[in-house]
Amino acid sequence: MNYELLKSAIENEARAQGLAEYEIYYMSSEELSVDTLNREPNSFSSVGSGGICLRVLYDGRIGYAATELMDEEEMKSLVTRAKSNASATEKPDTVGIFKGSESYAELKNSGFTARGAGELKKLCASLADEIYNTSDKVTRGTATYGITAGFVVRLSNSHGLNLETKCGINALQAAAVVCNDGKFESAYDMTELHGEVDLKALAEGVVSNALDKIDAGSVESGKYSVVLSAKQMRTILSAFVSAFSARSAQMGMSLLADKEGEKIASDIVNITDDPMREGVSIQTNFDAEGVAAYRKSVVEGGVLKTLLHNRETAKVAGVESTGNASKGGYASPVGVSPYAFCLEAGDKTEDELFALAGNGIYITELKGLHAGANAVTGDFSIESAGFRIVDGKKGEAVRSFTIAGNFFELIKSIAALSDTVEVAITGGFTTFGAPAVLVHNVSVAGK
Amino acid sequence: MDINNTRLIEEILGIATSTGADFAEIYWELTRNGTITLLSGRIDAIADNTVSGVGIRAFLGTKTVYGSTSDISREGLIKCAKSVAEAMGEGRAEMNIVLKPTAVKDIHPVKINPAEAENKVKCDLLRLATDSARAYDKRIVQSVGNLITVDHTILVANTEGLLKTDRHIRTRMAVSAVASSGGENQNGSCSPGRGMGLEVFEMFGPEKIGRTAAAQAITNLEADYCPAGQMPVAIESGFGGVIFHEACGHSLEATSVGTGRSQMCGKLGQKIANEKVTAIDDGTIPNAWGSVNIDDEGNPTQRNVLIENGVLKSYMVDRLGSRRMGMPMTGNSRRQSYTYEPTSRMTNTFIDNGPDKNEDIIASIEYGLYAKSMGGGSVNPLTGAFNFAVNEGYIVRNGKICEAVRGASLIGTGSDILQDIDMVGQNLATGQGMCGSSSGSVPTDVGQPLIRVSKITVGGR
Repeated sequence: MNYELLKSAIENEARAQGLAEYEIYYMSSEELSVDTLNREPNSFSSVGSGGICLRVLYDGRIGYAATELMDEEEMKSLVTRAKSNASATEKPDTVGIFKGSESYAELKNSGFTARGAGELKKLCASLADEIYNTSDKVTRGTATYGITAGFVVRLSNSHGLNLETKCGINALQAAAVVCNDGKFESAYDMTELHGEVDLKALAEGVVSNALDKIDAGSVESGKYSVVLSAKQMRTILSAFVSAFSARSAQMGMSLLADKEGEKIASDIVNITDDPMREGVSIQTNFDAEGVAAYRKSVVEGGVLKTLLHNRETAKVAGVESTGNASKGGYASPVGVSPYAFCLEAGDKTEDELFALAGNGIYITELKGLHAGANAVTGDFSIESAGFRIVDGKKGEAVRSFTIAGNFFELIKSIAALSDTVEVAITGGFTTFGAPAVLVHNVSVAGK
Repeated sequence: MDINNTRLIEEILGIATSTGADFAEIYWELTRNGTITLLSGRIDAIADNTVSGVGIRAFLGTKTVYGSTSDISREGLIKCAKSVAEAMGEGRAEMNIVLKPTAVKDIHPVKINPAEAENKVKCDLLRLATDSARAYDKRIVQSVGNLITVDHTILVANTEGLLKTDRHIRTRMAVSAVASSGGENQNGSCSPGRGMGLEVFEMFGPEKIGRTAAAQAITNLEADYCPAGQMPVAIESGFGGVIFHEACGHSLEATSVGTGRSQMCGKLGQKIANEKVTAIDDGTIPNAWGSVNIDDEGNPTQRNVLIENGVLKSYMVDRLGSRRMGMPMTGNSRRQSYTYEPTSRMTNTFIDNGPDKNEDIIASIEYGLYAKSMGGGSVNPLTGAFNFAVNEGYIVRNGKICEAVRGASLIGTGSDILQDIDMVGQNLATGQGMCGSSSGSVPTDVGQPLIRVSKITVGGR
């Protein structure tokens, strides 16, 4: 059944069961991936999936039910289940189903084009060649991946609101394995396919990263000035982003609760959330409740301007929704998350950050943030790798140490920012971005 | 899709191999997921989700093509099978496929199917847990409970004639408590689960789940930061087994070994760990969190001794790994759903009981860390470099467990730590986790008795 028939089946059943307010949220994805292993074509995968979630308002409460079974009987069942789930819920609904925003911004990149399998295969093969040509130390286990994934989201509700967005991502990934004197190391990197891709630079980057680590030294435990690369600062931002959610704050699970208008970071910290940020692949002009999505300043000059809201959290806080209602997948209840959440650039080059650090550590790899970073407390203790900074310059590679601290202290301690923001999607539909940052007095555990 | 229509399944497999593949497999699933969330003392949301689709995979040697679709009509299946065949090659071939349905013995019986229980029964269980968390201490400002139920039915068929169906039910309660004082938050959690129905809560009382989460939050609220540096560490039983899961387990999966991306390549028969270490992956433990009757390629799960008295005995091998490595399959092929191509994964993986008394382990440490509760972690299987978080830790001084410390992590390499596990206790227990890898997120048990690692880098302040 196509979407219109499914929608019609739900509408008919909802009417028959006396439901006046409901919302249909549909998401489908088509993903194609190819890869090489040891410079040879290895596998091909084409994955299609789609699901529909019904959210109903019944007896003053919200109920959800979702399915991937697309037939009329299942649509009837969906209505019955959502109604039953609403009946057992104890939280009264305060906002109802959304009637629609006055207007929705025009998307800047509505022209997503999926790359074909043939093109991805060629790119993967060429990237593999570049990796192997970079060094004779590249060895078995080296792989390249090409991925194209397109998404369609449709939101329709009982108020007649009908919204649709299409977006997608094309990406190339490199995973190099190197061997030197019987020691093995690996490194990984990815790039989105926007126009021409510099395969040689991508290949040289992963190979040199792997080779650097293979001969890396260790560091003594202590307090250091640390420059976090743009990629790693972006990763840290993603690990603690839930602290900026009003839902987390209202649940007592964010230390930013009731801090709007207060200084929470150093003067040079500016954080924005923009659903249509330039250069970002996944864009939308409406959120998971149908509210128009827009650019907002979250932190300005170190001051928390707003938390991120859906309609329910906004009602509790007595403010307007920031258009940040989200769903982790089609079946998820409505939550809160950003679109392109970025720490904005400063005015230093990375070399100037090294000079300001004097002696310290340049962090180029962080691992295990899903376990080593706690967004409720802000604490982190994370496996790291990178380079020494000696007399203001990048020095020898180091690894097998941790950096530890607290996110809320870290953002207050940012002493300088580099002048280039690097953005990337880091799982789900949220993009994160940051420049490199300099922070003093960070705890390092090594030897 | 009519799973009793053997002819249709044979037709689909025939299409998938029509361009020269030497093997094809079809995987169908119907999964009903249920989640109840209790927040701030009331049922916040109830949601259910039906996952339904098919994955079709073809091999030519070690080259693989995978396709999946949620369109399970005959037309949808044929379209998916054709796309697999087209991606495999341009040749023409015909394979004689005769499926032989085989019954699967269910060794994980369920007494109370969560799907058949009233929502009120499930909500009341959850409330018992979150109420007891809040009652534990006035500094507990929030407790969040989730009751997660999964009813998972699969069919696996392949061109070798295999045709099996299986059903698996699992239930888990996850409670998180937040303690707050003086502008500072700390949290604790407890998340037991089993391949069972609601009878699991006869084993794990909801009140105890809530109190355990709350106690951890309060302990951390009162704790100072963990000091940094290398020191001996005693890691408690249960979820402490994540150390083996990360430090070694992933490196023993054919996904890594078969592609040359494992520190354990070519080490079968070699002594890779202290002789006190015997490690096992066992997917047959009745009703365990990581158990299933058959794996996602239709093979029965089995008990695999991975390391025996420090010597590497076997890897965990799926069908593709078997082809790459020339070794038999071990019943370890798993996937999150039909949208993922299966690969070798752990089931219930644990270090077995050893020779040391638990009290001797603590008494042997002059100064170090006692990691009572572990969090998750990650590993690079190639190098064995791993990390994981300590959720609840205490300083050990002069052989005695002393003050609590927080914010610690442990890092090291698998090859080093396996040798440095120099004491193994006798209170084997397991903990439940969701393991993420290339075939998605799957339930796995980790486990061990109390162990001592003679030295490891502790990330702290």
